[in-house]
Amino acid sequence: MFLAYLPLAVFPFDFIRTGAAVSWIVLFLWGTVAFFWFTRRFFPGRSLKPAFFLWLLVWAQAVWTLTKLPPVWILSVFFLMPVSFLDDTVKARRIRLFSKEVPRYFFERALAGIGFAGFVMTMTLVREIAEKRLGIQVFDQPAGFLLVAAALAFLWKNQPYGKR
Amino acid sequence: MYFLIITFGLMLAMRGSRPARLEKPGEGGVRVLRGAADFFLTVSLTLALWTVLVACEATQTTAREYAILGFGIFNYLLSRYQKKTEVFFLAAATVSFVISVKQADLLNGLSLAWAVSAGMALFQTCFLGLRYKLLFSRVPPSIKGWPVLCLLAAFISLTLWSLGRLVF
Repeated sequence: MFLAYLPLAVFPFDFIRTGAAVSWIVLFLWGTVAFFWFTRRFFPGRSLKPAFFLWLLVWAQAVWTLTKLPPVWILSVFFLMPVSFLDDTVKARRIRLFSKEVPRYFFERALAGIGFAGFVMTMTLVREIAEKRLGIQVFDQPAGFLLVAAALAFLWKNQPYGKR
Repeated sequence: MYFLIITFGLMLAMRGSRPARLEKPGEGGVRVLRGAADFFLTVSLTLALWTVLVACEATQTTAREYAILGFGIFNYLLSRYQKKTEVFFLAAATVSFVISVKQADLLNGLSLAWAVSAGMALFQTCFLGLRYKLLFSRVPPSIKGWPVLCLLAAFISLTLWSLGRLVF
Protein backbone atom coordinates (compact mmCIF):
# COMPACT_ATOMS: atom_id res chain seq x y z
CA MET A 1 0.00 0.00 0.00
CA PHE A 2 2.75 2.43 0.97
CA LEU A 3 4.86 1.52 -2.08
CA ALA A 4 1.81 2.17 -4.24
CA TYR A 5 1.52 5.65 -2.73
CA LEU A 6 5.17 6.57 -3.42
CA PRO A 7 4.74 7.32 -7.16
CA LEU A 8 1.89 9.70 -6.38
CA ALA A 9 4.14 11.61 -3.98
CA VAL A 10 6.36 12.67 -6.89
CA PHE A 11 3.63 15.00 -8.17
CA PRO A 12 1.86 16.42 -5.12
CA PHE A 13 -1.51 17.60 -6.51
CA ASP A 14 -4.16 19.46 -4.55
CA PHE A 15 -6.96 17.59 -2.78
CA ILE A 16 -9.43 17.52 -5.68
CA ARG A 17 -6.93 16.54 -8.36
CA THR A 18 -5.50 13.85 -6.08
CA GLY A 19 -9.04 12.58 -5.55
CA ALA A 20 -9.59 12.38 -9.31
CA ALA A 21 -6.24 10.65 -9.88
CA VAL A 22 -6.74 8.11 -7.13
CA SER A 23 -10.31 7.38 -8.29
CA TRP A 24 -8.96 6.66 -11.74
CA ILE A 25 -6.21 4.41 -10.31
CA VAL A 26 -8.68 2.40 -8.24
CA LEU A 27 -11.19 2.06 -11.09
CA PHE A 28 -8.40 1.04 -13.43
CA LEU A 29 -7.11 -1.48 -10.89
CA TRP A 30 -10.52 -3.10 -10.59
CA GLY A 31 -10.92 -3.14 -14.36
CA THR A 32 -7.46 -4.66 -14.82
CA VAL A 33 -8.07 -7.33 -12.18
CA ALA A 34 -11.39 -8.27 -13.78
CA PHE A 35 -9.95 -8.24 -17.31
CA PHE A 36 -6.98 -10.43 -16.51
CA TRP A 37 -8.95 -12.72 -14.23
CA PHE A 38 -11.26 -13.65 -17.07
CA THR A 39 -8.67 -13.65 -19.88
CA ARG A 40 -5.66 -15.08 -18.07
CA ARG A 41 -6.03 -18.50 -19.68
CA PHE A 42 -5.77 -17.01 -23.15
CA PHE A 43 -2.16 -15.92 -22.57
CA PRO A 44 0.07 -18.89 -23.24
CA GLY A 45 3.22 -19.60 -21.21
CA ARG A 46 5.09 -16.52 -20.13
CA SER A 47 3.26 -14.00 -22.28
CA LEU A 48 1.10 -12.80 -19.39
CA LYS A 49 3.74 -10.43 -18.03
CA PRO A 50 4.49 -8.65 -21.33
CA ALA A 51 0.75 -8.44 -22.00
CA PHE A 52 0.15 -6.87 -18.60
CA PHE A 53 2.92 -4.30 -19.04
CA LEU A 54 1.79 -3.48 -22.57
CA TRP A 55 -1.73 -3.01 -21.19
CA LEU A 56 -0.36 -0.59 -18.56
CA LEU A 57 1.72 1.36 -21.10
CA VAL A 58 -1.09 1.69 -23.62
CA TRP A 59 -3.41 3.03 -20.93
CA ALA A 60 -0.71 5.34 -19.56
CA GLN A 61 -0.23 6.75 -23.06
CA ALA A 62 -3.97 7.17 -23.60
CA VAL A 63 -4.50 8.89 -20.26
CA TRP A 64 -1.51 11.20 -20.81
CA THR A 65 -2.83 12.15 -24.26
CA LEU A 66 -6.31 12.88 -22.93
CA THR A 67 -5.67 14.38 -19.49
CA LYS A 68 -1.90 15.01 -19.16
CA LEU A 69 -1.79 12.84 -16.04
CA PRO A 70 1.89 11.79 -15.68
CA PRO A 71 2.36 8.02 -16.14
CA VAL A 72 3.62 7.44 -12.59
CA TRP A 73 0.19 6.06 -11.70
CA ILE A 74 0.96 2.79 -13.51
CA LEU A 75 3.49 2.05 -10.77
CA SER A 76 0.70 2.36 -8.20
CA VAL A 77 -1.44 -0.10 -10.16
CA PHE A 78 1.54 -2.45 -10.42
CA PHE A 79 2.08 -2.44 -6.65
CA LEU A 80 -1.62 -2.92 -5.95
CA MET A 81 -1.96 -5.98 -8.17
CA PRO A 82 -2.03 -9.33 -6.34
CA VAL A 83 1.50 -10.65 -5.74
CA SER A 84 0.73 -14.06 -7.27
CA PHE A 85 -0.40 -12.46 -10.53
CA LEU A 86 3.09 -11.87 -11.92
CA ASP A 87 4.71 -14.87 -10.30
CA ASP A 88 5.84 -17.25 -13.04
CA THR A 89 5.81 -20.22 -10.70
CA VAL A 90 2.12 -19.82 -9.83
CA LYS A 91 -0.20 -21.59 -12.23
CA ALA A 92 -3.76 -20.38 -12.63
CA ARG A 93 -6.17 -22.83 -11.08
CA ARG A 94 -9.40 -23.86 -12.70
CA ILE A 95 -12.12 -22.16 -10.65
CA ARG A 96 -15.81 -22.40 -11.32
CA LEU A 97 -17.43 -19.08 -12.03
CA PHE A 98 -20.14 -19.58 -9.40
CA SER A 99 -17.87 -20.85 -6.65
CA LYS A 100 -17.34 -19.04 -3.36
CA GLU A 101 -13.76 -18.10 -4.25
CA VAL A 102 -14.73 -15.65 -6.96
CA PRO A 103 -16.65 -13.17 -4.76
CA ARG A 104 -13.94 -13.46 -2.08
CA TYR A 105 -11.18 -12.70 -4.57
CA PHE A 106 -12.96 -9.65 -5.95
CA PHE A 107 -13.97 -8.50 -2.47
CA GLU A 108 -10.30 -8.52 -1.42
CA ARG A 109 -9.34 -6.47 -4.49
CA ALA A 110 -12.21 -4.06 -3.82
CA LEU A 111 -11.01 -3.61 -0.25
CA ALA A 112 -7.44 -3.03 -1.45
CA GLY A 113 -8.66 -0.29 -3.79
CA ILE A 114 -10.80 1.41 -1.15
CA GLY A 115 -8.00 1.15 1.42
CA PHE A 116 -5.52 2.68 -1.02
CA ALA A 117 -7.87 5.55 -1.83
CA GLY A 118 -8.41 6.20 1.88
CA PHE A 119 -4.67 6.11 2.56
CA VAL A 120 -3.83 8.52 -0.26
CA MET A 121 -6.59 10.96 0.70
CA THR A 122 -5.49 10.87 4.36
CA MET A 123 -1.91 11.64 3.35
CA THR A 124 -3.06 14.45 1.05
CA LEU A 125 -5.31 15.94 3.73
CA VAL A 126 -2.51 15.89 6.31
CA ARG A 127 -0.13 17.50 3.81
CA GLU A 128 -2.64 20.19 2.83
CA ILE A 129 -3.29 21.11 6.46
CA ALA A 130 0.33 20.91 7.62
CA GLU A 131 1.86 22.67 4.63
CA LYS A 132 -0.72 25.32 3.75
CA ARG A 133 -2.55 26.01 7.03
CA LEU A 134 0.15 25.38 9.63
CA GLY A 135 3.12 26.24 7.42
CA ILE A 136 5.28 23.30 8.54
CA GLN A 137 8.23 23.38 6.16
CA VAL A 138 9.11 19.71 6.40
CA PHE A 139 6.03 18.98 4.27
CA ASP A 140 7.64 20.82 1.34
CA GLN A 141 9.89 17.80 0.94
CA PRO A 142 9.57 13.99 1.00
CA ALA A 143 10.48 13.79 4.69
CA GLY A 144 7.01 15.12 5.54
CA PHE A 145 5.02 12.30 3.99
CA LEU A 146 7.57 9.73 5.17
CA LEU A 147 7.10 10.85 8.78
CA VAL A 148 3.31 10.69 8.41
CA ALA A 149 3.65 7.26 6.78
CA ALA A 150 5.80 6.09 9.71
CA ALA A 151 3.13 7.27 12.16
CA LEU A 152 0.34 5.57 10.19
CA ALA A 153 2.36 2.35 9.89
CA PHE A 154 2.99 2.42 13.64
CA LEU A 155 -0.72 2.90 14.37
CA TRP A 156 -1.66 0.16 11.91
CA LYS A 157 0.82 -2.28 13.40
CA ASN A 158 -0.25 -1.59 16.97
CA GLN A 159 -3.99 -1.41 16.57
CA PRO A 160 -5.63 -2.52 19.83
CA TYR A 161 -7.84 -5.22 18.33
CA GLY A 162 -5.38 -6.41 15.71
CA LYS A 163 -4.53 -10.07 15.28
CA ARG A 164 -1.82 -11.26 17.61
CA MET B 1 13.61 16.37 -8.87
CA TYR B 2 14.38 15.82 -5.19
CA PHE B 3 11.03 14.05 -4.76
CA LEU B 4 11.98 11.82 -7.67
CA ILE B 5 15.28 10.85 -6.01
CA ILE B 6 13.79 10.01 -2.62
CA THR B 7 10.63 8.24 -3.76
CA PHE B 8 12.26 6.17 -6.50
CA GLY B 9 15.32 5.59 -4.33
CA LEU B 10 13.11 4.13 -1.61
CA MET B 11 11.10 2.12 -4.11
CA LEU B 12 14.22 0.61 -5.67
CA ALA B 13 15.75 -0.01 -2.24
CA MET B 14 12.70 -2.08 -1.29
CA ARG B 15 11.92 -3.84 -4.58
CA GLY B 16 14.61 -2.83 -7.07
CA SER B 17 16.70 -5.97 -7.11
CA ARG B 18 16.89 -9.37 -5.55
CA PRO B 19 17.30 -8.64 -1.84
CA ALA B 20 20.93 -8.83 -0.72
CA ARG B 21 21.66 -10.27 2.70
CA LEU B 22 21.70 -7.48 5.26
CA GLU B 23 24.52 -9.23 7.09
CA LYS B 24 26.85 -8.43 4.17
CA PRO B 25 26.56 -4.68 3.62
CA GLY B 26 29.59 -4.57 1.32
CA GLU B 27 27.93 -6.90 -1.16
CA GLY B 28 24.74 -4.83 -0.96
CA GLY B 29 26.69 -1.60 -1.49
CA VAL B 30 28.27 -2.93 -4.68
CA ARG B 31 24.85 -3.99 -5.91
CA VAL B 32 23.45 -0.52 -5.20
CA LEU B 33 26.24 1.18 -7.14
CA ARG B 34 25.91 -1.25 -10.03
CA GLY B 35 22.16 -0.75 -10.03
CA ALA B 36 22.57 3.04 -10.10
CA ALA B 37 25.02 2.80 -13.00
CA ASP B 38 22.60 0.53 -14.89
CA PHE B 39 19.78 2.94 -14.16
CA PHE B 40 21.76 5.91 -15.45
CA LEU B 41 22.80 4.07 -18.62
CA THR B 42 19.26 2.85 -19.28
CA VAL B 43 17.74 6.31 -18.84
CA SER B 44 20.55 7.94 -20.86
CA LEU B 45 20.16 5.49 -23.72
CA THR B 46 16.40 6.07 -23.76
CA LEU B 47 16.85 9.85 -23.77
CA ALA B 48 19.47 9.69 -26.52
CA LEU B 49 17.27 7.51 -28.72
CA TRP B 50 14.31 9.80 -28.12
CA THR B 51 16.38 12.86 -29.07
CA VAL B 52 17.45 11.18 -32.31
CA LEU B 53 13.87 10.23 -33.14
CA VAL B 54 12.63 13.73 -32.39
CA ALA B 55 15.43 15.26 -34.50
CA CYS B 56 14.44 13.23 -37.60
CA GLU B 57 11.53 14.75 -39.48
CA ALA B 58 10.04 11.42 -40.47
CA THR B 59 9.72 10.15 -36.90
CA GLN B 60 9.24 13.44 -35.05
CA THR B 61 5.44 13.40 -34.72
CA THR B 62 5.20 9.73 -33.81
CA ALA B 63 8.01 10.02 -31.24
CA ARG B 64 6.31 12.97 -29.56
CA GLU B 65 2.80 11.53 -29.64
CA TYR B 66 3.68 8.05 -28.42
CA ALA B 67 6.54 8.95 -26.06
CA ILE B 68 5.26 6.93 -23.09
CA LEU B 69 4.62 3.84 -25.16
CA GLY B 70 8.03 4.12 -26.81
CA PHE B 71 9.88 4.71 -23.54
CA GLY B 72 8.02 1.84 -21.91
CA ILE B 73 8.67 -0.74 -24.62
CA PHE B 74 12.32 0.28 -25.04
CA ASN B 75 12.95 0.17 -21.28
CA TYR B 76 11.14 -3.14 -20.97
CA LEU B 77 13.39 -4.71 -23.59
CA LEU B 78 16.51 -3.19 -22.01
CA SER B 79 15.59 -4.36 -18.53
CA ARG B 80 14.76 -7.86 -19.80
CA TYR B 81 18.18 -7.94 -21.46
CA GLN B 82 19.82 -6.87 -18.19
CA LYS B 83 17.63 -9.30 -16.19
CA LYS B 84 16.31 -6.49 -14.01
CA THR B 85 13.11 -6.46 -12.00
CA GLU B 86 9.80 -4.99 -13.16
CA VAL B 87 10.15 -2.10 -10.71
CA PHE B 88 13.45 -1.13 -12.33
CA PHE B 89 11.85 -1.05 -15.78
CA LEU B 90 8.83 0.95 -14.64
CA ALA B 91 11.03 3.38 -12.69
CA ALA B 92 13.43 3.86 -15.62
CA ALA B 93 10.57 4.44 -18.06
CA THR B 94 8.86 6.93 -15.74
CA VAL B 95 12.05 8.84 -14.92
CA SER B 96 13.00 9.00 -18.62
CA PHE B 97 9.60 10.40 -19.44
CA VAL B 98 9.65 12.98 -16.63
CA ILE B 99 13.14 14.15 -17.64
CA SER B 100 12.15 14.36 -21.32
CA VAL B 101 9.18 16.54 -20.38
CA LYS B 102 11.31 18.83 -18.20
CA GLN B 103 14.41 19.02 -20.42
CA ALA B 104 14.23 18.91 -24.19
CA ASP B 105 18.01 19.34 -24.53
CA LEU B 106 19.95 16.06 -24.45
CA LEU B 107 22.92 17.33 -22.42
CA ASN B 108 20.70 18.83 -19.74
CA GLY B 109 18.63 15.65 -19.75
CA LEU B 110 21.72 13.49 -19.28
CA SER B 111 22.99 15.65 -16.43
CA LEU B 112 19.57 15.39 -14.77
CA ALA B 113 19.62 11.62 -15.26
CA TRP B 114 23.09 11.53 -13.69
CA ALA B 115 21.94 13.65 -10.74
CA VAL B 116 18.89 11.44 -10.16
CA SER B 117 20.89 8.20 -10.41
CA ALA B 118 23.67 9.50 -8.13
CA GLY B 119 21.08 10.78 -5.64
CA MET B 120 19.28 7.46 -5.66
CA ALA B 121 22.57 5.60 -5.15
CA LEU B 122 23.43 7.85 -2.21
CA PHE B 123 20.00 7.38 -0.69
CA GLN B 124 20.08 3.60 -1.12
CA THR B 125 23.60 3.35 0.31
CA CYS B 126 22.63 5.34 3.41
CA PHE B 127 19.45 3.28 3.73
CA LEU B 128 21.35 0.01 3.48
CA GLY B 129 23.96 1.18 6.00
CA LEU B 130 21.35 2.26 8.52
CA ARG B 131 19.39 -0.97 8.10
CA TYR B 132 22.61 -2.86 8.74
CA LYS B 133 23.23 -0.82 11.89
CA LEU B 134 19.69 -1.58 13.06
CA LEU B 135 20.62 -5.25 13.21
CA PHE B 136 22.81 -4.41 16.22
CA SER B 137 20.30 -2.09 17.90
CA ARG B 138 17.48 -2.89 20.22
CA VAL B 139 14.56 -1.76 18.11
CA PRO B 140 11.26 -2.15 19.97
CA PRO B 141 9.06 -4.77 18.27
CA SER B 142 6.23 -2.25 17.99
CA ILE B 143 8.14 -0.15 15.44
CA LYS B 144 9.94 -2.91 13.57
CA GLY B 145 9.16 -3.18 9.88
CA TRP B 146 7.55 -0.35 7.93
CA PRO B 147 7.45 2.23 10.77
CA VAL B 148 11.20 2.18 11.31
CA LEU B 149 11.95 1.98 7.57
CA CYS B 150 9.83 5.07 6.92
CA LEU B 151 11.55 6.87 9.80
CA LEU B 152 14.98 6.00 8.39
CA ALA B 153 13.95 7.18 4.93
CA ALA B 154 12.61 10.44 6.40
CA PHE B 155 15.85 11.11 8.28
CA ILE B 156 18.00 10.36 5.23
CA SER B 157 15.75 12.62 3.17
CA LEU B 158 16.16 15.45 5.69
CA THR B 159 19.93 15.00 5.78
CA LEU B 160 20.31 14.94 2.01
CA TRP B 161 18.08 17.98 1.73
CA SER B 162 20.23 19.90 4.22
CA LEU B 163 23.45 18.81 2.49
CA GLY B 164 22.02 19.81 -0.87
CA ARG B 165 21.11 23.27 0.42
CA LEU B 166 24.60 23.70 1.89
CA VAL B 167 26.32 22.68 -1.33
CA PHE B 168 24.11 24.43 -3.89
